[in-house]
Amino acid sequence: MVTMTPYRSTVESSRDGFPQLLLSEWTKLRSVPRWGLTMLAAAAATILVGMLLAAGAGAQSAGGDGSTAGISPQFRDAGSYVHRPLTGDGSLVARVATQERNDPWAKAGLMMRVSAQPGSPYAALMITPGHGVRLQSNFVTDLPGSDSGAPRWLKLTRTGDSVTGYESADGSNWSKVGTVQLEGMGPTVETGVFVASPDALKLLRQFGGEDISETTNLGKASFDNVKVEPARPQQLAPWKSNGNTQVDPNATTFSLVGAGDIGFYQFATDKTKTILSGAMIGIMALVALGVLFITTEYQQGLIWTTFTASPRRGRVLAARAIVLGGAAFVVGLVASFAVFLIAAPMINQGKAAPASLSDPQVLRGVVGTAALMAVVAVFSLAVAAIVRRSTAAITTVLLLLLVPLVASTALPLTVAKWLEAVTPAAGFAIQQTIMRYDTAIGPWSGFAVLCAYTAVALGVAIWRVQRQEA
Amino acid sequence: MEATIEINGLRKRYGGTVAVDGLSFTVRPGQVTGFVGPNGAGKSTTIRLLLGLDRPDEGTALVGGKRYQDLRTPLCQVGALLDASALHPGRSARDHLLWQAHSNGIPGRRVDEVLELVGLAAVAKRAAGGFSLGMRQRLGIAGALLGDPPVLIFDEPVNGLDPEGVIWIRNLLRRLGEQGRAVLVSSHLMGELEGSADHLVVIGRGRLIADTSVRELLAKASDGRVTLRTGQVREAITVLNQAGATVAATDHDEVTVTGLPVAKIVPLLTDAGVSFSGVAERRPTLEEAYLELTHGSVEFQATPAGQGAASW
Amino acid sequence: MRHSLRAEWTKVRTLRGNTWLAVGIAVCTVLATAGATAAVSTAQCPTVTTCFEDTARLALRGVWLGQAVVVVLAVLMMSNEYGNGMIRTTLSAIPRRVEVLFTKAAVISGIVLATGAAGAVGSLLIGNVIMPANGFTPANGYPPLSLADGPTLRATVGTVLYLALIALLSLGVTTVLRDTAVSITAVLTLLYVVPVISTFVTDPEWLDRLRKISPMTAGLAIQATRDLDRLPIGPWPGLGVLAAYAAVAMIVGGVLFVVREA
Repeated sequence: MVTMTPYRSTVESSRDGFPQLLLSEWTKLRSVPRWGLTMLAAAAATILVGMLLAAGAGAQSAGGDGSTAGISPQFRDAGSYVHRPLTGDGSLVARVATQERNDPWAKAGLMMRVSAQPGSPYAALMITPGHGVRLQSNFVTDLPGSDSGAPRWLKLTRTGDSVTGYESADGSNWSKVGTVQLEGMGPTVETGVFVASPDALKLLRQFGGEDISETTNLGKASFDNVKVEPARPQQLAPWKSNGNTQVDPNATTFSLVGAGDIGFYQFATDKTKTILSGAMIGIMALVALGVLFITTEYQQGLIWTTFTASPRRGRVLAARAIVLGGAAFVVGLVASFAVFLIAAPMINQGKAAPASLSDPQVLRGVVGTAALMAVVAVFSLAVAAIVRRSTAAITTVLLLLLVPLVASTALPLTVAKWLEAVTPAAGFAIQQTIMRYDTAIGPWSGFAVLCAYTAVALGVAIWRVQRQEA
Repeated sequence: MEATIEINGLRKRYGGTVAVDGLSFTVRPGQVTGFVGPNGAGKSTTIRLLLGLDRPDEGTALVGGKRYQDLRTPLCQVGALLDASALHPGRSARDHLLWQAHSNGIPGRRVDEVLELVGLAAVAKRAAGGFSLGMRQRLGIAGALLGDPPVLIFDEPVNGLDPEGVIWIRNLLRRLGEQGRAVLVSSHLMGELEGSADHLVVIGRGRLIADTSVRELLAKASDGRVTLRTGQVREAITVLNQAGATVAATDHDEVTVTGLPVAKIVPLLTDAGVSFSGVAERRPTLEEAYLELTHGSVEFQATPAGQGAASW
Repeated sequence: MRHSLRAEWTKVRTLRGNTWLAVGIAVCTVLATAGATAAVSTAQCPTVTTCFEDTARLALRGVWLGQAVVVVLAVLMMSNEYGNGMIRTTLSAIPRRVEVLFTKAAVISGIVLATGAAGAVGSLLIGNVIMPANGFTPANGYPPLSLADGPTLRATVGTVLYLALIALLSLGVTTVLRDTAVSITAVLTLLYVVPVISTFVTDPEWLDRLRKISPMTAGLAIQATRDLDRLPIGPWPGLGVLAAYAAVAMIVGGVLFVVREA
């Protein structure tokens, strides 16, 4: 045989870098018309079901008592408050003589706030039966004082924009509880005494289901030696009550009864989550897509063409996960913003505060829904790469996502919460914008649980795929 | 890159069965090497090991001196046709090639070039699921040619093709070899390689049976065999046997003579008064040469030999 | 008819995966029941006597998982034939398509009735072992579950029928959609997502409507043995809703099966 010059390829190729691999996988994903339709269907289902849910929730009147108007549904600003204005710096002193121990978080104490309007910035120094003396402000700040209960002397002092709380056993030796800053304080603030008490959560198992009820829990307390001490001499206006009760305009002792809490509200309706729950159906479609993106290649033997073109299999799988996750994220983002913008006006009827994208929690829920869809798609892809069969992969992923949620409708709350916190279904927590009595896990932690499952599955998948033979 | 395939002491076992058992051979550039053996001989396993799809238990399979897995742009160095039905039915022919091109950084216009080359340009936008087997083979070959690689591997490329397709592939293979590429073509039917292969690697039960050029093989297979056409078969056999030749009747009026050249047979028969209508040195087909070669291999015992005539 | 029945039965029987799935129906049902019953105790009730727990329903909860296996088995029975082109072999052997579909329905129903019965009875048995330990004792008003008790018998038989109807629903949907992945996703979504979604519907009227038309929630009303007035829909009408789903799926599937090219 005559030896001849070996053939040289005339095709100039760049290196087989990761960007090329991404482009290759993207070409695969976009070039199967059915897969594009699946993505569209996922978005459509998310939007349509979200609209239906908004319509189905629109008629109810969550927090319709007015005490939550204008503030996040996560919080309530209720209770009984007797107040008078104070201009400039000054102090408010009183002794909480008695407090009924009806709830560990029943509150009785002093409060300064920017205005009497519910939801306005406030600083409250209080006694609680179960948690001692606390200084709280604006629903979120909570500083602990001593463990004492009533009777106890309390003092709130305003200096500029800051309010400092003191407590004392005898009214003469004061110890500081803490200082809080209040935004938006004008020259005049409302000062006074208040009583509040969270609603009682009754969790009873009856008739094969969990009966959860919220019952009004009246807080009662009596105050004496109530005194407002302005730094600058001024004519103090008469006491006013936020309720209908008449109060002696010049009293120094009060006996108050208050329903409802100032602070965290665990029965709030999560409007944003309701709107976004249509994504659950969209996610089902993405599970199928994620699985098929892998299993069709095995069915057709195409996987070997893929691995011939790109022998570094781990990178192929990583590129595919990124492409699918990215596509699902974009589809999810379009769908979740669309459904929110369409459905929010439907659900924002009534007196309760509207769900709005300017609320960071809501924004997290909307963007998080897209992230959730992306991660579930990648999780499905990873499971598919491990089991290599569409039937097994789809069934596994769907059951992991759905059974905890379905089971929680019949199992005791504690078991249901546990299931929703440790399974991949925990990822749905990213959609919640408020904490409730039945919240299983925080938004980020829940999403992290799903991500952890996905990372492990992807790791196992990459390990397996590298060892795979015919 | 040196355009060669080197298989050295390759061994692969799946569970209890040994698929490839200490195989060694080399595929050189500038010629078409046929890779032959019956179904289950280990051809596809060897090719999978060569492409890094499976890992060898022992030995090496190198392309241009490198393991396939270590090639950075493998499609520009090795083109392979494995299984023509391996495509997504919903994806168009062009997109099927496009993702492969992207993965190796090959420009998109090359996709159109190879589609033109294999005659699929007109159906490039159609979903590959509707393609006939022949069109799928062409698409698979287009994929192998995508990177214009110096080494080409085709696993059973003529499987299920119509005669026209067989001729097309035969010409294509020859052309690719003439361009200086190393071309390895596997087949379980030797006849399919007739007219295209220059060199043959024959395996059975995962072992090498022959590594020879086609010309040598044919020369060896034909050695000293003469076909004789006569109305007096019985007499001819007697005469030639007495002269020391081995004679076998292959038809009612035909015998095959081994051990005597034509120059001696003709006078012998003439002297003995045996009439004959024709005498010719036999030119065996590749298929026959192959069957003769593999006659001794255990793996081939079950294959029908097609040489049914008994010797007298 | 007898021949096609035998042919279908042979097809199902000779795939090892199917045997595992059939066994899986019973096993998953019993295991899920074990989990559900272990999670519930009288301690979660206001008082032991005001639990009003429907122990029969609790012990049959395992079908929540078992039904998923039924879906997989029934979907595969049809989609596998499309997947590997076997459907053409089947139809050339038995060209009467209605008969083919009918036989498939008969065979899958038979398998699910048998394994579903095993799963349901097994669930009652394991419930009887676990529940007394959680306070559901005869002394507290919870006698052991027994098929001699009318409502319990109805709940148990109804559960088995529920599973068979789920199988027919899956078979019908698959005959329409023909693809394994698509069919499994569709049926599981139909079954599970509606109960989950309905937890977000706070309007009582909507909720009631949704529960009446959801195949799973309505169909499982058959498991209730007490306080039937609290159900969104009665036991038999509820099972009827599921039967309607199955019938529509089978009829649409049947028409398409006859009309479409294989």
